Amino acid sequence: MSENQIFAKKDYFEIRLESIGGLGANLCGKMLGEMGVRYLDLNSASFSSYGSEKTGTPVKGYIRFCEKEKEIREHSPVVSPDLLVIFHQALLADVSIWKGCTEETTVLIALEAGNLPKEGAQSEKGAQAEEGAQAEGQKASGPSIRLPIKVGNCYGVPAGEIAIETHSRKNVVMLGAMAGVLDFLDIEAVYRICKDTLGTKYPDSLAGNLEGIRRGFEEVKPLNVSVEEQAEGKGGQTTCDGIEAPGGINPYFGNSVANDVSPSRAGYIPLFIKERCINCGLCDSTCPDMVFQFAKGEYRGREMMVNQGLDYYHCKGCLRCVDVCPVNALVRGLEAEHPHKAYFMPNQDLVKTPVYYEKVGPDGYITSESYLTEKRMDGGEV
Amino acid sequence: MKKQTMEYAGGNEMAALAIKQIGYDLMGYYPITPSTQIAESLDAMKAKGETDLIMVAAEGEHSAAGICYGAAVAGGRVINATSANGLMYALEQFPVQSGTRYPMVMNVVCRTISGPLSIKGDHSDIMFMLNAGWPILFAHSVQEVYDFNIIALKLAERVSLPVVVAYDGFFTSHQKKRCLRFEEDAAVKEFIGPKKEAYPFLDLEHPITVGSYMNEPDLIENRHEIHLAMKEAVRELPALFEEYEAWSGRDYEVIEGYSHEDAETILVVLGSSFETAQTAVDELREKGKKVGLLTLHALRPFPTKELVKACSKAKTIVVADRQDSYGAVGGNLSMEVRAALQKAGSCVPVKNLVYGLGGKDFFAEDAKRMFAWAENGTAKSAYYGVEKNGNKGEQKAGDRGAEKAGKDVQYFAPLTAEKTRLGIIRAEDGGNGITIQGGSLNETIAIPKRLAPGHGACPGCGIPVNINLLMRGIEDPVVFLFQTGCGMIVTTGYPKTSFKVPYVHNLFQNGAATLSGITEICYRKQQKGEIPPGDIVFVMVTGDGGMDIGMGSALGTALRGHRLIIFEYDNGGYMNTGYQLSYSTPMGAKSSTSHVGKAQYGKNFFHKDMPQIMAATGIPYVATVAESNPTDFIRKAAKAAWYAKNKGTAYVKAISACPLNWNDKPATERRVIEAAVDCCYFPLYEVELGITTLNYDPEKMKKKKPVTDWLSMMGRTKHLVKEEYQDVVIEMQKEIDRRFKILKIKSENPEL
Repeated sequence: MSENQIFAKKDYFEIRLESIGGLGANLCGKMLGEMGVRYLDLNSASFSSYGSEKTGTPVKGYIRFCEKEKEIREHSPVVSPDLLVIFHQALLADVSIWKGCTEETTVLIALEAGNLPKEGAQSEKGAQAEEGAQAEGQKASGPSIRLPIKVGNCYGVPAGEIAIETHSRKNVVMLGAMAGVLDFLDIEAVYRICKDTLGTKYPDSLAGNLEGIRRGFEEVKPLNVSVEEQAEGKGGQTTCDGIEAPGGINPYFGNSVANDVSPSRAGYIPLFIKERCINCGLCDSTCPDMVFQFAKGEYRGREMMVNQGLDYYHCKGCLRCVDVCPVNALVRGLEAEHPHKAYFMPNQDLVKTPVYYEKVGPDGYITSESYLTEKRMDGGEV
Repeated sequence: MKKQTMEYAGGNEMAALAIKQIGYDLMGYYPITPSTQIAESLDAMKAKGETDLIMVAAEGEHSAAGICYGAAVAGGRVINATSANGLMYALEQFPVQSGTRYPMVMNVVCRTISGPLSIKGDHSDIMFMLNAGWPILFAHSVQEVYDFNIIALKLAERVSLPVVVAYDGFFTSHQKKRCLRFEEDAAVKEFIGPKKEAYPFLDLEHPITVGSYMNEPDLIENRHEIHLAMKEAVRELPALFEEYEAWSGRDYEVIEGYSHEDAETILVVLGSSFETAQTAVDELREKGKKVGLLTLHALRPFPTKELVKACSKAKTIVVADRQDSYGAVGGNLSMEVRAALQKAGSCVPVKNLVYGLGGKDFFAEDAKRMFAWAENGTAKSAYYGVEKNGNKGEQKAGDRGAEKAGKDVQYFAPLTAEKTRLGIIRAEDGGNGITIQGGSLNETIAIPKRLAPGHGACPGCGIPVNINLLMRGIEDPVVFLFQTGCGMIVTTGYPKTSFKVPYVHNLFQNGAATLSGITEICYRKQQKGEIPPGDIVFVMVTGDGGMDIGMGSALGTALRGHRLIIFEYDNGGYMNTGYQLSYSTPMGAKSSTSHVGKAQYGKNFFHKDMPQIMAATGIPYVATVAESNPTDFIRKAAKAAWYAKNKGTAYVKAISACPLNWNDKPATERRVIEAAVDCCYFPLYEVELGITTLNYDPEKMKKKKPVTDWLSMMGRTKHLVKEEYQDVVIEMQKEIDRRFKILKIKSENPEL
């Protein structure tokens, strides 16, 4: 759809970015917005979800485009996006990211290469395919992506892989891919905004970033989608709605245990090889998330605290434990390869098991940019 | 009209740009969300050599305002920026500034004030400024933030009063919009003109006294002068708007309306909501409803005349306040609107709503409902958007406690003394110091953790690691107080909490004082038999930021000898707000307020030696700990607990990893901390009853490293390894060696 067609129907074209702190969605949103006013002959506004600064946190970016002459008056988050961009495959399981999406919503997902259709398929814009072909699943082949709700056209791009190969970052690859699925988003404008934003500041990384954009643009593909609607009540609500104590007093001590912080993981988990463990306790001393479950037991004939397993609900995948383990009883593993985790042991101190664990990331989002942006564009490791 | 170019930026960035273009002399500031970006942006410009603004990072807002005041008295052009509790903390400085008639400008990026702590936007902070004697301009758009910053200084200097530029936190400060700015700084400077000083303070040939003591016949005269200066501002502001229009082409008035001229129902809102509500007005107008909007560009002086005129056709006015003057008839804006209309003899009914507190989103739909309520609602005053207890009417505070029963979400059994007093780690008083028995890494795992999992710290964060290690040395029941910082934010996001034991958060800076009060009542209740006897260990937890702004309170507690542990996790920066420099940030480190560039190498002063400052108070126990030496850590925790129970204040400081802002890999943090210890940046020692003991000597262990080995492990400091920063590193190494040598000598000489 061209921009004229879009804005004939509605005031704004709205994009929501669903990401995790550290992937550059904040900068991506800014570049999109700036591109709108500088190179697309549109007006635009953009912002990120706000909070304190934590890494691994769900971050949302909001971008609104409208006709050049119009003022953007809305200051609220994008409720019902025209384009939903998901920066990390792990987020797909989070029901909350789909809020407000309808069958009109176009979806773009950063997927691991193995989850993408193999051959033949290309984005509509790239292949000039007829509208709606993908939605009926005619063109795409290969694995299908399960989504919790019905959405409109759905596309995937192996953004992580491209970013690694091109020495760019996921956010610019996603920008390229967006140009691949949105008609009014001209790829040349993406190159230009990238040069503006990153070119002068980090000239060394510019070539890689431009290449990342190009490959994102070219490698974005329509996806096979199957819908698997989830049962009501799984997520969204909190476990203690209606605390009656005044003044924000919280009498439910330790109830953060009902959080499932696995969305914070960046693909890796520690794997426990129990037969190697000498029960030195270093892992427990370095774990920020109380993952290790020790209990009184016997090891080599001695009574001591013995490692029973890991509470993966609360593991954020920092791998501190792997680094300190002197006997390699904890090793780094790709989470995708270990869907059924050995020695998975919920917190032992629980006297009541949570009915369900609410998937959450760390509290808060982005409030400042200068240091974080600079650090990350400067080849930061996080 | 002067030449202008387009920018795509948020309010804070545009404020910073205006400040840079004006060419202020000095900014005294202290980081607080959401205003911090202003200082960050200016620091980034400074590092690039684009501005020569003197930037002074104070140790708290009270001092920041003091620095600004001093600089203004001395004749500088001065700027500040703050929000919420920062404004509250500095509040007493503001009437002094206006009362002694020194102009300056302060951006107040509006945010709700504590507590409960929230960082989102509303107008509860700015309304505390209404009586400060400062003209207050309110910008509802990014463009206005820029323009009003320029106008504000000229107004300030014309009427000799300090001026606030206020705008919505996040909605205006962070949302990026298209806007215009003067291409040349010179155009801005020309508009402002040169600064004139009637009584230059630094003219040594004509000495003056500022800040006289004043008795009753004179004080009222002084206050009347402020009253008159405000009246002058009533005249000057429209004139300045006109001058500015000639310069910029943008036309402002003290009141801005939208479809208000013939409106029968007018909604009055402040800030960004004014823009959002326009969509509602458009839709309602299409349906034939005569509705309109008004907003104020100046809260002080209050635009009485213009407001009355703008409301002349209205049959109902509804004022929506993003704050409440609790117990009054509504928020402050509503009362002032009523007062203005009454003054003009108007009888138009004014209804009021309180809405959008703590940044609760405001949609056009909400404005439509407000208009509907204005038409049909029977109450004169209401809260908008309240769900909990919303329809219960008035509720007696006493009723609430009874209702809390029956919520079966208690996941843990309470950590009673029997559950934690396992006898694994024991302290014995040898008369001349405490010896610790037990406390091995494996054994102490048995002590139940006081912190529950599921908190929101970043992967690899050192804070929970350090809290857990500290708790392993303490078998008695624990009561926590956390000062503001990452540690409290990530553990207590309502309605969840990660604490299994009593916990309180008060303010950023006075935790030690608060906990002192708690200990006193605890002892009293125990004495009276209202609570069971037995030792309780009171632990105040603070970051290095809290130990900057709260140093006074901590020192006071130490000097009084209140029996508690002050535990500092030092990650070397204000990490919770995006890593601004703290006084404990390593020299040369980059942060969002100490950028690296051709004109600046990072933070330009040494890290604070807090343990020695605490030791100087003469408290019985001071210790430094690091997770890389966990057994040492646990034993010191046990010692600290003994002293806190039996003798007085104990201070324990840990170096704490922050993968996000140290910019290193979460997995490797223990090694990074080990390097900090081995290079003697963070020496492990204790001062027990005045006697210094070095617990770990890297030199003796043949593990001593140059400081560059540690600096190169972190993204924030690895630039220092480059040759161009050699001087910084040499200076730093010298200081580290000097401090370590003194420790060593003290350690070898018990009388030192």
